[in-house]
Amino acid sequence: MEYKAPSSIDEAVMLLAQANGKAHVLAGGTDLLVQIRAGFTKPTLVVDVKNILELRTISVADDGVCIGAAVTGAELGEHDAVKAAWPGLVEATELIGSTQIQGRASLGGNLCNASPAADTVPALVAASAICLIAGPNGQREAPVEQIVTGPGQTSLKNSEFVVQFQLPKKLPRSADAYLRFIPRTEMDIAVVGAGVNLTLDKKGICQQARVALGAVAPTVLLVEAGAKALIGSTLDDAALDKLRAAASAACNPIDDKRGTVEFRVDVAGVLAKRAVLIAKQRAEMN
Amino acid sequence: MPRFGIGQPLTRKEDLRLLTGRGRYVDDLSFPNQARAEFLRSPHAHARIVQIDVEKAKSASGVCAVYVSADIANAGLGGLPVWFMPENAPPGYAPEFPLLAQDVVRYVGESLAMIVAESAEQAARALDLIEVKYESLPTSVGLEEATSDGAPELWPGKAPFNVAFLWQGGDMSAVVTALRQAAHLVEIDVINNRVAIAAIECRAAIGVHDAIKSRSTLYTTSQMPHPLRADLAAIFNESEDQFRVVIGDVGGGFGSKNSMYGEQALVIWAARMLDRPIKWVGERSDAFITDFHGRDNVTHGELALDQDGNFLGMLVDVTANLGAYISGRGAMSPVLNQPALAGTYRTPAIHVRVRGMFTNTVPTDVYRGAGRPEAIYLLERLIDKAADELNIDRVELRRRNMIPADAFPYETPLGLTYDGGLFERNLDEGLRRMDWDGMVSRRAEARARGRRRGIGLANYVERCGHGITQDAQIKVAADGGVTVLIGTMSSGQGHETAYAQISAELLGVQPSQVKVIQGDTDLVAQGKGTGGSWSIPVGGAAMSKAADAIIDKGKEIASHLLEASSADIEFSGGYFTVAGTDHAMDWSSVAASAYDPTLLPEGMTPGLEGTGEFVPSNHTFPNGCHLCEVELDPKTGSLDIVRYLVVHDFGVVLNPLLLEGQVHGGVAQGLGQAVFERTYYDNAGQFHTSSFLDYNIPRADEIPSIEFISNPTPCPANPLGFKGCGEAGAAGAPPAVVNAVVDALKEFGVKHIDMPLTPERIWRTINNAATKQDFP
Ligand SMILES: Cc1cc2nc3c(=O)[nH]c(=O)nc-3n(C[C@H](O)[C@H](O)[C@H](O)COP(=O)(O)OP(=O)(O)OC[C@H]3O[C@@H](n4cnc5c(N)ncnc54)[C@H](O)[C@@H]3O)c2cc1C
Repeated sequence: MEYKAPSSIDEAVMLLAQANGKAHVLAGGTDLLVQIRAGFTKPTLVVDVKNILELRTISVADDGVCIGAAVTGAELGEHDAVKAAWPGLVEATELIGSTQIQGRASLGGNLCNASPAADTVPALVAASAICLIAGPNGQREAPVEQIVTGPGQTSLKNSEFVVQFQLPKKLPRSADAYLRFIPRTEMDIAVVGAGVNLTLDKKGICQQARVALGAVAPTVLLVEAGAKALIGSTLDDAALDKLRAAASAACNPIDDKRGTVEFRVDVAGVLAKRAVLIAKQRAEMN
Repeated sequence: MPRFGIGQPLTRKEDLRLLTGRGRYVDDLSFPNQARAEFLRSPHAHARIVQIDVEKAKSASGVCAVYVSADIANAGLGGLPVWFMPENAPPGYAPEFPLLAQDVVRYVGESLAMIVAESAEQAARALDLIEVKYESLPTSVGLEEATSDGAPELWPGKAPFNVAFLWQGGDMSAVVTALRQAAHLVEIDVINNRVAIAAIECRAAIGVHDAIKSRSTLYTTSQMPHPLRADLAAIFNESEDQFRVVIGDVGGGFGSKNSMYGEQALVIWAARMLDRPIKWVGERSDAFITDFHGRDNVTHGELALDQDGNFLGMLVDVTANLGAYISGRGAMSPVLNQPALAGTYRTPAIHVRVRGMFTNTVPTDVYRGAGRPEAIYLLERLIDKAADELNIDRVELRRRNMIPADAFPYETPLGLTYDGGLFERNLDEGLRRMDWDGMVSRRAEARARGRRRGIGLANYVERCGHGITQDAQIKVAADGGVTVLIGTMSSGQGHETAYAQISAELLGVQPSQVKVIQGDTDLVAQGKGTGGSWSIPVGGAAMSKAADAIIDKGKEIASHLLEASSADIEFSGGYFTVAGTDHAMDWSSVAASAYDPTLLPEGMTPGLEGTGEFVPSNHTFPNGCHLCEVELDPKTGSLDIVRYLVVHDFGVVLNPLLLEGQVHGGVAQGLGQAVFERTYYDNAGQFHTSSFLDYNIPRADEIPSIEFISNPTPCPANPLGFKGCGEAGAAGAPPAVVNAVVDALKEFGVKHIDMPLTPERIWRTINNAATKQDFP
């Protein structure tokens, strides 16, 4: 296995394009190294992207926030501006692993590892994040929800990788929230994850909403019916009940030792509703 | 009292070594020219072995040898010895438990073949080259399946209906009479869930053979070195002195390292065959499916009460899952500790019937408490259920039936004679400290947040130490240093500290002057190992006898040198003093004199040492009350253990730090079984919870800080007054937390919930019990 650590996007693209055999991008390695050690994947080339400036930078501008794909959870958690604008995304990121894992784990790795239970993905989808992708044919953009196509599978072409995540301009009276359910108190894989992003008007009526669920289908779900249930309402009990039902109805989970179908379906509704209440409270304050 | 004697919170002598990575576990040892062993484990729960072809594996790179059952059978090696089978029924069936499976495999993980290679990697790679043709057989995995009509049998013709043995205890006719007079009969069915014992140090063994001396040495991880040597002698059909067992630091055992495993004999056998040291170190994934599991009972209990709620009689029917074979001590838990069913209550008549069952699972064996936690769980759940059905307050019902403080000695209907305890005071102290009565407002406050609170308690009486004799040898060197040789075996409990402290108390030395030698059968003359919370009570008492012999000889030496009668010499605080004078000799001058023949009375042999043996006249009876408060989220089933309190009577406390550490660990394991640890065999006998991702050992943030109240009473059966504290935590915790959760779920109409209390189980229980209406 060969290890390379290029310092530019172009160099990284070239290395990946020229690889013969299996090549992997390496960010924090908290998924990849575990998989290599367990013998699940045997790459011939590993391209470490942590030395590429664009992937390690967080920039805040008037039209939104850009987060480098290899920025670590710890870095994001200490970034006051991002925390203030996207508390839900930051709380999702900070749920990953432990203090040690936080020092390594990245958004790019969490997305591209393509686990149905990845914690930041529902939050990214709810936030309408766009990926900037580099590849042999230059750079392109794609919404986060188009990246993962199934467990362990992405729509990235050979030698493409994610450079950064672009979050839209933050509107007044809007906020996001993320909740996950695990059987334990920490360090566990989500049985259900729920990300919500809301915009209210001055009267508290919901103008925009996005609801995304993790771990209840092969890929993260964007629950349009859930958003519909909320938009136009004051997020009263009736609307919340409709949302809960819509969230449960959207689920198509697996039945396994970590959680049965009925349980995941029901808890998905419960969590979506609770996440809306948190986002609402935050939106009312800003 | 010496500064480091009994009762002092001396910090652990072994911790500097263990916490700085300088402990010496089996994997830390290596020998010149050693080869590595790996074992082929059965992927099937029940299958006939049609053919094993090892030729390809034999010629793989680095492979020295491949052995299958025929190889060792030809050499005449026996199976794993069974140390206990119940006696009072028609004889049960203890099948031969072969070191390597013969014609049939009976559980996933059973060993079929051993490969020895130059490296562990080469041995592991060659495992894939062994070709086995299996013919699958129908399985009986869970107890429900194994006991059902027409269930596939593991031992056709030998153990009909998969029944290994039947056993009963207590007086059935007394119970029947009680039932006739009863105003109420309360019944409960509980599952005492199977657990993976999961000691942090995986099993490992190194066999070394000295062909010149014709002696074999086993370096391994074990709680019982001397019994293990006896097992080796039995398997090889040789005398015990042909074996030496050496145990270094042990990373936990909890019962899983009491009995012997096939690998421990096979590394010696291969060492003899190949004339080189053979090392095997198990992996965690191996441990989950090959280490003996704990618990696994289904129990039906009936409690007869009169009009006023007095207990009249109890009938208990236990079905115990022994696994595919009977492990060394596998039949002990469901049989020997049933007397714990009496608890702290004066139930006049108890009868218990036990059915030991074979299933296609890894055998079970003793696990922290070994039957006591199972019995106490049934009893304390049954009492809560009775209180609910009779509409009597559960504290009041317990109080009404409690054995009073003036009733000792008290004979229980299952044959124990309790010698003391303040059971009602345990309860009262617990209720007060937990603010039991304040639950009303805490419940309401939690409810307002959409949560539910519950509180529960459990009383227990354990029994420790009877039936075990242990001796201790204490040697005093010329410089006054003390060496304790003892046949108990620490697996993390802190024996080096405990025995140093007992030595300090008895002999007036500093703990730093004390060396403890355990775990080497060539150095320690006799031993029972460690189990059943007996090491400090029984080992400590043996030490006190050994110390008496030393002090007696010391007095004679001092009397000779101080020219006084030996009857006038007093020993205290390290000084031999002529009574009523200031003539004295200190410890080190007496020790030095003991080795100088010119200073000794005529005819006295030089040296200063003593051996003591302690044969307990009765059990000790540690007892206490555990209380637990929980809060749960009824919509997701998430459970928080909010508070946990232990009121305990362990008699004299040797070292409060060690003691509380033992109880912390016991409670954490009890809560682990009750709340987190789920083993899952599917119908085909595949074990699905075989990593720490799926098998949830409790973590620090999931266990609350444990509060303690000490309420000791004397322990007449033990000269130093120790009762034993190693297992009690695991006995009190499951019923305390389950009672708390059932209390929290009362409004949904829940009467019982089985362990482990995972979120999904709680969620499902609510949803099955509650009216379909949504709740706040
Ligand atoms: C102990 C532990 C606990 C964990 N807990 C959680 C948890 O609670 N929640 C959770 O969601 N996950 C958890 N994880 C998984 C993991 O930490 C996260 O998925 C993390 O975000 C992965 O990021 P990384 O930078 O380490 O990715 P890496 O391991 O470096 O990469 C993961 C995959 O993504 C690819 N990749 C990485 N970066 C890019 C890129 N920029 N473009 C294209 N492909 C890329 C890699 O080639 C690889 O296939 C845990 C892992 C461990 C070991």
